[in-house]
Amino acid sequence: MATGPNGPNTQGGPPGTTPGKTPGGDATDQPTSACQGVEDTVGRSPLRRLTRFEYNNTVRDLVGDTSSPAKAFPSEEIGNGFGNDADAQNVSGLLAEQFSTVAQAIAERATAAEVIAKLDACATNLVADREEACARTIVTKLATRAYRRPLVSGEADALVGLYTAARTKAPFAVSLSTAIEALLQTPDFLYRVELGAPDAAKPERLRPSGPEMATRLAYLFWGSPPDAVLDAAAASGELLTNAGVRKQAERLLADPKARPVIRFFFDNLLPISSLSQLERDAMLYPTFNASIGGYLREETQRLLEYEIFEGSGTWPGALTAPYTFMNAPLAAFYGMSGVTGMDFTKVPVDTTRRLGVLTQAGVMAGSTPSNQTNPVLRGSFVAQKLMCRPLALPTDPNILAKVKPPDPYSGKTARDRYGAHSKDPVCAACHQFMDPIGLTFENYDAVGAYRTQENGVTIDASGSLPGTDTQVPNAVELARLIAASEDTQNCFALQWINYAYGRTLGDDQPADACLKEQVARTFRESGENVRQLLLNLTQTDAFLYLPSHAEGMP
Amino acid sequence: MKPFRLSRRALLRGAGGVAIALPWLEVMGVPKPARAQPMAAQRFVSVYTPGGTVLEKWRPTGSETAPVLSPILVPLEPIKNKLLVLDGLDLKSAVGEQHQAGIIALLTGTIQTSANRNYAAGPSIDQLIASRFMKPRKSLEMAVRWATGKAHGLLSPMNCVNFENAAGFKPIPPRLDPVQIWNDLFKVGGSSTDMDAAARLERKKSVLDFLDKRYAALSQRLGAEDRAKLEQHLTKIRDIERALEETAMPTARCQPPMLVDTSDYNPLTGLNSTDDGSARDTSTDAAIPKVGKLMMDMLVMALACDMTAVGTFQWSDTEAKHTFPWLGLKEHHHFYQHDGGFKPVECEKIYTWYSQMHLYLLQAMDAVDMGGHSLLDESVVFFGTELQEPPSHQKANMPLLLAGGGGGLRAGRWLKYDHLSHNNLLVSLLNLFGDTRTMLGKPEHCTGPLSNLT
Repeated sequence: MATGPNGPNTQGGPPGTTPGKTPGGDATDQPTSACQGVEDTVGRSPLRRLTRFEYNNTVRDLVGDTSSPAKAFPSEEIGNGFGNDADAQNVSGLLAEQFSTVAQAIAERATAAEVIAKLDACATNLVADREEACARTIVTKLATRAYRRPLVSGEADALVGLYTAARTKAPFAVSLSTAIEALLQTPDFLYRVELGAPDAAKPERLRPSGPEMATRLAYLFWGSPPDAVLDAAAASGELLTNAGVRKQAERLLADPKARPVIRFFFDNLLPISSLSQLERDAMLYPTFNASIGGYLREETQRLLEYEIFEGSGTWPGALTAPYTFMNAPLAAFYGMSGVTGMDFTKVPVDTTRRLGVLTQAGVMAGSTPSNQTNPVLRGSFVAQKLMCRPLALPTDPNILAKVKPPDPYSGKTARDRYGAHSKDPVCAACHQFMDPIGLTFENYDAVGAYRTQENGVTIDASGSLPGTDTQVPNAVELARLIAASEDTQNCFALQWINYAYGRTLGDDQPADACLKEQVARTFRESGENVRQLLLNLTQTDAFLYLPSHAEGMP
Repeated sequence: MKPFRLSRRALLRGAGGVAIALPWLEVMGVPKPARAQPMAAQRFVSVYTPGGTVLEKWRPTGSETAPVLSPILVPLEPIKNKLLVLDGLDLKSAVGEQHQAGIIALLTGTIQTSANRNYAAGPSIDQLIASRFMKPRKSLEMAVRWATGKAHGLLSPMNCVNFENAAGFKPIPPRLDPVQIWNDLFKVGGSSTDMDAAARLERKKSVLDFLDKRYAALSQRLGAEDRAKLEQHLTKIRDIERALEETAMPTARCQPPMLVDTSDYNPLTGLNSTDDGSARDTSTDAAIPKVGKLMMDMLVMALACDMTAVGTFQWSDTEAKHTFPWLGLKEHHHFYQHDGGFKPVECEKIYTWYSQMHLYLLQAMDAVDMGGHSLLDESVVFFGTELQEPPSHQKANMPLLLAGGGGGLRAGRWLKYDHLSHNNLLVSLLNLFGDTRTMLGKPEHCTGPLSNLT
C-alpha cells in the first residue's frame, strides 16, 4: 500500500486483513519487534520541496512578502493527507511556469522604490559607482538566507553576474530584481537540499550539516525558515549532537510560531477546516450559520491547544476532555447559559452527553453530508483517520452488481435507513467496521446539536468499537474506548510521522516499519504526550541521520 | 493495416528543423483532397465530465449514418455532422476504486496502481500526442470547479486525467484560475520591436540559463531518486526556454478571447471543500457556466494561435460535489448520482447541460478558419466520463463521443461496437495523429485499433 491512512482512495484488502494488524490487535502485543534485524534504521529521506504553506512563510521571512503568492501554484498532491509527501511532488510544466511568474512578481515588489531600502540601507541614495557593491551586498545577504546555508565560492558571483548583465540595459532596481527572481527559482531555495556531513563519532554515518538540521527543525515546528538563534546553533556545531537538536526542538515547540503548524495538522486530521462554508437548510437548522461554523472550528482548536500545552498534554486527554471552550454565540448554539462576550472561555461539558473532541458539534457537523446524518461516513472517518484502519471501497464487479445503495429517506432513524448494512452479509462484510462506530454518534444531528429523537422515534445510539467485544450505549462511552485503543495511539503517532517527515510510511520497508514501532512505543511510554511525541520525532535515526545513498554519488 | 502517415511536424523535422517556426499554413495550406491520404490530425482536445450518463436517455436511435439523437445528446444536433457517437465500448482497463479507476483509465488505458501512488501505470494519450508536436506549450490542462469533496482542492486519483509521458507517470495538475490563464496566454508584453520587451526577454533567458546550469550541477551531487526530481524540474525549465524561442505569431484568426468578469468565482474554492460536499460556495457554483465558457474560449484560441496542439478541459472531477444553481439543482452532482440515492431526472438534466456546453466548444472550434477548413476539421475532440451508470459505477457501454475531422475521422455517425475495450479507441486516436502502434496497455485490455473510424 502506497497510500497512507488518510488517503480517501484506500485500495487495500478488506479491513482486518492488513498484514501485521487486525482490528482486534489491541489486546495483545506483537510478539516480535519490527526493528529486529533491521540494520538500516535511517530509511529513505526523499528530497522535499517547499509546500505552498512553507513557500509563503519563507518569502514572508525573506523579503517581507505577505501576499501568500504560492496560492498561484498548481494544486499539491493529496498524498499523505497533509499535502507534503515528498514522493508525490511533481514538477508539472505549469508549476515551473508559475515558479517563474511568481518569483518575478515577488522580486519586483521587493525592489519597488518605496521598499528597496529594506533589503539593505545601501540602496538609499545610491550613487553610480556604489551600485554593483550594493547589489552584491543585497544578493549575498538574500541568497544566504534563501539557501539556508553559507554561500560557497562563486555562488554570489553568478547571481551578481545576472545583475550586471541586466544593468547594461535596465535600471538598478530592475537589474537587482532579475537576480532575486533567479535565486527564488534555484533548487537551493525551492528544495530542502541535504548533502550531509560524516558524523564525528561514527564517520561511516551521514548527518545533516548544521544548517541542514536547522532547516529540518524550523520547517517541522514552524513551517518557516530558521531564525537567528537556529543559525547560531547551526554555526556552533550544537546541531550535530542529539541533545543539541532536542534543546532547539524544545525552544521551537514552546514558541508561539509552532501553534499555526499544530493547527494546520489538526485542520487536516479532523473535518473542521471548512465549517464556515458548511451549508445547512436554515429551516431545519435555524441556529446554525457560517459564523457558528467558524466558532465550532475554533472551539476544537482551542481545546486541542489547551489540552496539549496546558492540560494533560495527551491525545487520550483530548479525546476524553470533560470541558470545552465557548464564546457567547457558541454557548447559545449549544444551549448553555453563563457564557458572555466574544472571547472563548473554558467551560465544563455535561459528560452524559459529550466527551472530548469527537463529540464536539464541529467534528460531528463536519463529518455529515447535507442535512441528514450519515453513520457510514462518521464511522469511516474514525476508523480510517483516527485508527488507521483502511477500508476498501468495493471493487469486485460481482459485489457491485449486487449492491444498490439504500434510499436514505426510507426510514425514520439512521439505524433503520442503514439497516441493510448489517442484515445483508455482502454489505456487512465491510460495514461492520464502520457502522457500529457511526451509529453511536446519532445523538448529534447534522449540525452537531444533541438530540434524543429523530422523526419522533427515540434514537438507539448503541454500538461498539470493532475489534472489541464491548457494547456501548452511546458516543460518550465509545469516546473512552477509542481513547483507550492502541490503534488510536499508534495511528496518531503515524499521522505525525507522515506529516513531520513529508512521507507516507508503508509496511513494505523495514526501516519504516521499525520507525513506526519506535515512535509509537516512545509515545506510549510518555503517556501519549503530544509534545513529547513531537520532540521525540527529532530524536529518531530518520531525523538525526541521512541515508548514505552511495549508489547515487558520482 | 493502416497506411503509415507522416505528421506535419514529422515532415518539418525531416526538412531540417528550421522550418518549425513557419506558420503551418504556408507549408500545408492546401485543403486536403478527398480522403484518400488523410493528413494526420493536428489538434487533440479531450473533455472530461463526471458521473457517467443515463444510458437510455443517451443512446441514439436510427442508423449508423442517420442517427437520431436522444434527449441527452440532442443539444448537439446543430453540429451532428461533425460528431461521432461511440457506443458499446467498455472501460475494461478501469481496475481499482470505482470512480478513480475510471478517470485514470480514461486517457491512459491503464489500471490504477499502488506502485504509482494509486495513479496510472502509463502516460495519458494526450501527452503521447503532445510529444509529436513542437509547440510553445506542450499541452494545456484546465478545469472548472475542481477537486471538490474528498480531494479538498488537492490533486488526487479522484480528479486527475492527464499523466506525464515519463517514468513514474506523475499526475499533471490542471490550471484553475481563469484570470491567471488569460494572463499567461494572452497578456501581451509588447511586440518584438519594442526595445523594453526585447530586454525583458533577454533577462528572462539569462535567468533560465542560470537555472539550467544550477539544476544540472546540483542534481549531479544527489542520490538517484533525488537527482531524478531535479532533472524533471530541469526538463520543465528547458520547456520554458524553448517556449520563449517559439513565440506564436499573431494572425488574423488569433484573437485573445474577451476576459469576462469572474470576480464572483473562486478558482481555489476546492480547498474549502468537505469530504461529503456539505461545504457550499454558491457564488462560485453559479459562475460555473460563465467560467466554463471562458476557459473553452481560451483553449480554442490557444489552439488557433498555435500556442499548443493539445488541450484537456475538465468539468469538475469524479467527486463532483458542487451544485448547479442555474439548473435549479440544489444538491451536488454526486448526491444525485448515488450519495442521495440515484436521481435519474436530475442526472439527465446535468448530462444534457454538459451536451449544451460541448456544443459551445465544438461550434467555437468550427468557427475558426484555418485556411479553407475549420479548426474543428483538423482536430480530434474526445468527450468522456469515468463510468456509465451512476448508481452501480458500471463501466460497460461507455457514453463516449468524438468530434472533428482530423486524421480522416469520418464524423456524422453512430458507431456500435460489441463490448470492445476502450483501449482500442485510444490506440485509434494515437493512429489518427500518426502514431502507428497497434496496442496500448495490457493485452487483456486491448485487441487493436477500432474499425470504421476513418
